[in-house]
Order: sequence, then structure tokens, then C-alpha cells
Amino acid sequence: MTPSHRTGGLSRRHFALVLPSALLVSGASGCAAPHQGTGRPGDPIVLTLLSHYASGTLKEALQRPVDEWNATHDRVKVRTKAVEFTDLLTTFMVRQAAGQGADILHPYCLWNGQLVQAGVLRPAPSEHTEEIRRGYGGAAVGASSVGGKIYGYPTEVQTYALYYNKRLLREAGIARPPRTWRELEDAAYRTARRDGYGNTLVQGFGLSTYDDSTTVGQTLALLNAAGGTFVSADGRSTAIDSPAGRAVFDLEHRLVVKGASAPGVNVYKAFQSGQVAMVVSAGWWTGSLKTEMGKDYRDVGVAPLPVPEADDRRATLSTGFMLGVNTASEHPREAWEFLRWLNTEKVSVKSAKKGATATRMSSLQVSVGSLTGRAEDMRTLLSEGSDPNLRPFLDALAYAVPEPNVVGAQQAKSLLRKNIEALWTGQQSVDESLRTIRRQVDEEVSRSW
Amino acid sequence: MVNALAPETTERVHSPRDAGSTGSAVDGRRRTRLRRRQAVVGYLFLAPTLLFFAVFLILPLGFALLLSMSRWAGFDLGDIDPVGLDNFADLFVDGSTFLAPILTNTLLFALGTVALALAGSVLVANCIDKLRLQGLWRTLYFLPIVTTVVAIGNVWKYMYEPGGLVNGVLNALGLGSVAFLQDPDTALPAVVVVQAWASVGTAILILTAGLKSIPDSYYEAAALDGAGPVTVFWKITLPLLRPSLLFVCITQFITGLQSFALIIVMTKGGPGDATNVAALEMYRQAFSYGDWGTASAAAFVLFAVVLVVTLVQLWIFRLKGEDT
Repeated sequence: MTPSHRTGGLSRRHFALVLPSALLVSGASGCAAPHQGTGRPGDPIVLTLLSHYASGTLKEALQRPVDEWNATHDRVKVRTKAVEFTDLLTTFMVRQAAGQGADILHPYCLWNGQLVQAGVLRPAPSEHTEEIRRGYGGAAVGASSVGGKIYGYPTEVQTYALYYNKRLLREAGIARPPRTWRELEDAAYRTARRDGYGNTLVQGFGLSTYDDSTTVGQTLALLNAAGGTFVSADGRSTAIDSPAGRAVFDLEHRLVVKGASAPGVNVYKAFQSGQVAMVVSAGWWTGSLKTEMGKDYRDVGVAPLPVPEADDRRATLSTGFMLGVNTASEHPREAWEFLRWLNTEKVSVKSAKKGATATRMSSLQVSVGSLTGRAEDMRTLLSEGSDPNLRPFLDALAYAVPEPNVVGAQQAKSLLRKNIEALWTGQQSVDESLRTIRRQVDEEVSRSW
Repeated sequence: MVNALAPETTERVHSPRDAGSTGSAVDGRRRTRLRRRQAVVGYLFLAPTLLFFAVFLILPLGFALLLSMSRWAGFDLGDIDPVGLDNFADLFVDGSTFLAPILTNTLLFALGTVALALAGSVLVANCIDKLRLQGLWRTLYFLPIVTTVVAIGNVWKYMYEPGGLVNGVLNALGLGSVAFLQDPDTALPAVVVVQAWASVGTAILILTAGLKSIPDSYYEAAALDGAGPVTVFWKITLPLLRPSLLFVCITQFITGLQSFALIIVMTKGGPGDATNVAALEMYRQAFSYGDWGTASAAAFVLFAVVLVVTLVQLWIFRLKGEDT
């Protein structure tokens, strides 16, 4: 049901349903509704922005432009609220149900189909749509769109590449990072080491079971690199049960069975400790690695994702976040104006050459070691003295495949993760895993919501 | 309460002793009025509680029942779409993971937790009952109850890790490492052990109280008859501890069937679905996937399971002569 349908009068059935529940919801929202301001002279409109930039550098990075906006705008103020990423979707759901949804939302684009279907996200007005189409790469625009309609400004765009430990590869006699899957496998077996008790000392190729995103992200990146996709173009069925899907599952299965990968180990800690030679991950990780590894970060290299054969076309996965406006916001025009100011207005870049400009959001992302979908801004910001490990992620923006964000995307992703883990732990064969994923995911994405 | 008074009043009027006596009839009417007034006052005192239950129990229950037969994304009440029993059918359709492994895991998790916690707590409570400084021991065993599940889960998770304490001990004994939480065969038992360990404190507290209520005279008589400690335990302690055991058994089972916090911290239901349980699946369906209909249907199925399991336990204990 589209938002316009919902604005019509309530049917008798809906009224009967609404009546008892409204008592609870109105009671809850009445108790703790955020102050939104009236917009009358002397009483500014206060917009709330809910994101996952909850701590450390991320929180500070977002607060800087927000403080700048608040200092330069009297009538509209912005107040940030943040929760950890793992709680973000739950928080959207609970707050929205309680009538306390924030004016501006910062969702993971995977959830867009679900949020649009539930009537949470407001489509971007035409003037903003034009700016978004003009300023951002295809993957970023695709991630922020549902059914061809744009719902917000892309903020960070993550592409996937191969992180590798230069020292471990060098010690194994490998001069450069792998470019094909054959080289990847060979390097993984040569670098892996275990002790007499079966404890993994070094994983050749890290497979993460940390959460849905890391487990699924690396598999989908390899799937894209092999020319496959997870969900069909119309979003109504899965396309993983294909030669490309089989090739990826075979590769991962071999790596586990031959001892080059130990999915039980937390890859994200082990890589930092020099216990993983290679791992596929997204660009956001460079910022964390730099902070947490200290001088050992010099051993970290990033290379484009290997492809099955040397002459194959490059492809990888891209995921992203966007800033959109809540359908329940009382001040959508002001909210969109703030987003335009944050995401499209160019300001000078201190660290770059004289006269160089970029958007506030692009500067924000680079300051935390991440990327936006604005390739032009990224090139400006990464021109001099920046981390060379970010460059492969930037290059990948040109060929990355956006993560599908159909209505049941989150559930489809969870189902994929479960079956990947079942494959890695020997509960299912490659064939069984592919068959089960196809059946379960098809059932989910084809539901008539 | 008012209805209950009606037959009594009628009986009095027809009583030969009261018949024809005007004064007694007036007294009877007064008494009836007084009782009615008392009933009204009683209901007035009950009203806040009834209102509380109506708002926080009956209304949500009705709403959950409605949702279990609807499709709803969780935001707009106007979008509730009735689908009849489709959600229940989907849970048990061929290929659904809800019955196996999710519901099976739930029962195994609860059963394993109760069995371990019960055996452990009976043993420990019996030992504590014979020690000095009983308060100290009870407090020590109760500590996990006042510790957050997140802390417990994380500590045990690190202990179970390939390079963790448990595997360190195994390696020191010359044994190979076990991927406790990563192997689908060991993940559920590994979490069950932690849940049992964490819940043993409450059981010990209740069972210690139960042990104290057993009269010493039985033990003295057994000693005079020359009964050994094992016989005393099986023939005296355990049978007389049955009311406490029944309470512990039922409450622990219900807790076990409903719990998921420890699992979400330690394994997130994985690997695959190896440790996924009904409550975790409900949480995910509602809050992650926005499928409140399936979540509510699963909640009612879980409720039915809890009810059946509890009734079976009561029946078994009643067969053993325990009046509940």
C-alpha cells in the first residue's frame, strides 16, 4: 500500500482495529514525544536525526556539520540521536510503532524495500531526485531507490575488496596479492598454519561468521566477481543457484575443508593480530584497522577482488546507507532542505589543493576512512597524502553491483547467512545449500506483501 | 460473588425456622445488602489490578491474537491485513524451519537446562545443607542470577573460543581443541551448560528452603534403622523435596522455553540454525523482518507448547502423589 492510499479515510474494519490499539500507542507517544517545535517566531523547528553514528569518531564527524547548521540557521535546528548499528532497524521499528519516529532516518539501504513497503520513508521530491541522480554513481542511486523511485541521499557507499597481510604473503613467498581465484586459493593454502591441537594459528583466507553483513557480504562480493547475482532483476526470485553461485560455494567449501579457513575464529580480531592472510571486506574497515593496528597497519594492503579467470570482467558488491525523511515528519520540507545542504552543497576542502571543494557528507566520510557515492568528491578528497588502501574501493564504485533491497531483503540475507554457515560447518553440501537457499529465499521475496 | 449468595438467600427464606418470621426476613435482607456492599467494595479494591491486567495483558493478548491472523509490517495500524490461519500454516508448511530445527531446539534447550540445573542444584543444595556458612555458599551460587545475561554470555563465549580457557584446559590434558560454538553438534549443548549454570542459583535457593522444611525426626529414625546416606537421599530427601522440585522444574522449564537472550549473545542462533529457538525467531520476525503476523503466530504456538509441557509436568507429579 502506498502512502497516498493510507492518507484516505479509515475503513470500518481499520477503525475497529485502530480503536483499541490507538489507546496504547497514543498513551505511549504522548508520554515521551520528542519536542519538535512549532515553527512560530522564537520557537524553532527541531528536526531529529536518527543514525548509527553512535560513538567515537563517527559521532563526532556527524556532529560537526550538524553544529555548523545549527549555528547558521535560526528557524530550523537539528538534533542527532544515535544507536549502535545492530540496534538501528529495531529502533526504527519500535519508535515508528510508538509514534516517535525521527524526522530524518539514516537506514542501511538493504532495509529500504521493507521500510518503503511499511510506509516509513518518504519519496524524495523531484528537485532532490535530480540532484541525487546527477551527483552520485549508479550503485549509490540504485541502493537509495526502491521500484525506480529515490528515497534519500546516499551517504556512505561501501564496496568490497581483498584485504591482505603483506608480511604473511611475503613470508609464504608470495610477491603480490592474488588476482584470480586460483591464485587466491594457492595463497590461502600456503599461508595457513595450525598447531598440533588443531588450533588455527594463521588463516589463509578468513571467512567471517560475525553477523549477516560480514558473512553474506564476502560471499556476495565473490558471487558478483564471478558474474552472478543474489536476486533476479525483478526482485521476485533468487539467482544464486547458478554456475557462479556453485563456483563460490565450491571455493569456500574447499577452503574450509582443506583447513585454509576457520569460520569459528573472529576474522575481524584475528586479521588485526596478524592471524589472517586474506579476507574480503568492505571499505569502512580501513578506518578501524588504522586506529586499532597502530604501526602494524603498514602490513595491510588492499587489492581489487580477485576474479575467477584473469580476463574476467571486474565486479564486486556495494552496500550503502542513505539519509531519508520519515513520512510521519511534520516538517518534511525543512528536513529535505537540511539534507540538500549536507549532501550537495560544496564547501572548500582544507586538506586538498587550493580551490578544491566537496560536500560536507563526503568530507565527513573520508574523515572516518570511508567513501561516499560521489566519485568526484572522493577523488578530490583522496588526492594527496590519503590512505592508498582506500583507492581500490573508490575504483570499485565504477563496477560494483548494489545489494538488492527488495521487501524481504533482510530476511533473505539472514536465510542466506544460515545456509552459508550450514555449508561451512558441514551440515549441508554445496548442492543442498544452493537448493535450500533458492527455496527459502524465493518463498520470502515472492510473498505478496 | 453476588450470584453465589443467591441460592443461600433462597434457602434461608424457605427454611422452616425462618418462615413467617418478619424480623428474621428483615435481618436476612440486611445481611444480603451488607454482603452486596462488601462485594462492591471488594471489586473496587480489585479494580486497579483488573484494569492493569486489562491494559497490559488482555488488550495486548487480543492484539497479538489479531496479529497472528493478519499480515502487518509493524508501523501503520491501518495496514493490518487479515489472512486467517495462513501464518500458522506457514509455520508448519513442508520445508519450514520452525518445527525442525527451531521448535526442536527450543524443547532440547529447555529440557537440557532443566535436567542439568535440577541435578546440579539438588546435589549442591544437599551439600550446602551440611556445611557451615550456608548463606555465603548460597550467595556465591546466586551471583550469576544478578549478573546480566550479556556479561555471562560474553565471558563464556571467550572461554569456549578455540584459544579460550576451556580449550586451554583440554590442550593441557593433551586433548585436541573443540570448536564448541562453531560446531553445530556442540553449539546447543555448550549454550545449555551456560544457561543451566546461570540458573542453578535460584534452584539452589528454593531447594535449600525445601530441605530445611524436612523434619529432622525422619533422618534420626533412618539413622536408628542404619540407613546409609544414599538410601537416606533416595528414600527421604528426594521424596520430601518433591514440592520444591515441582516448582523449580515448572518455572525453569517455562524460562527455558521462552529464553533467547543468552543465545543471541553467544551464537545469534547459529551456526546455521543449530541454536535457533522459538523466542529468538519471534524476535527476528517482528523486529528485524517486520513480519508481526508470523511472530505473533509463533508466539501462540510457543504458548501452546509451554501450556502442554506444564500440564504434563503437573500430571506426572500428581501421579507421584504430589498435590499441587
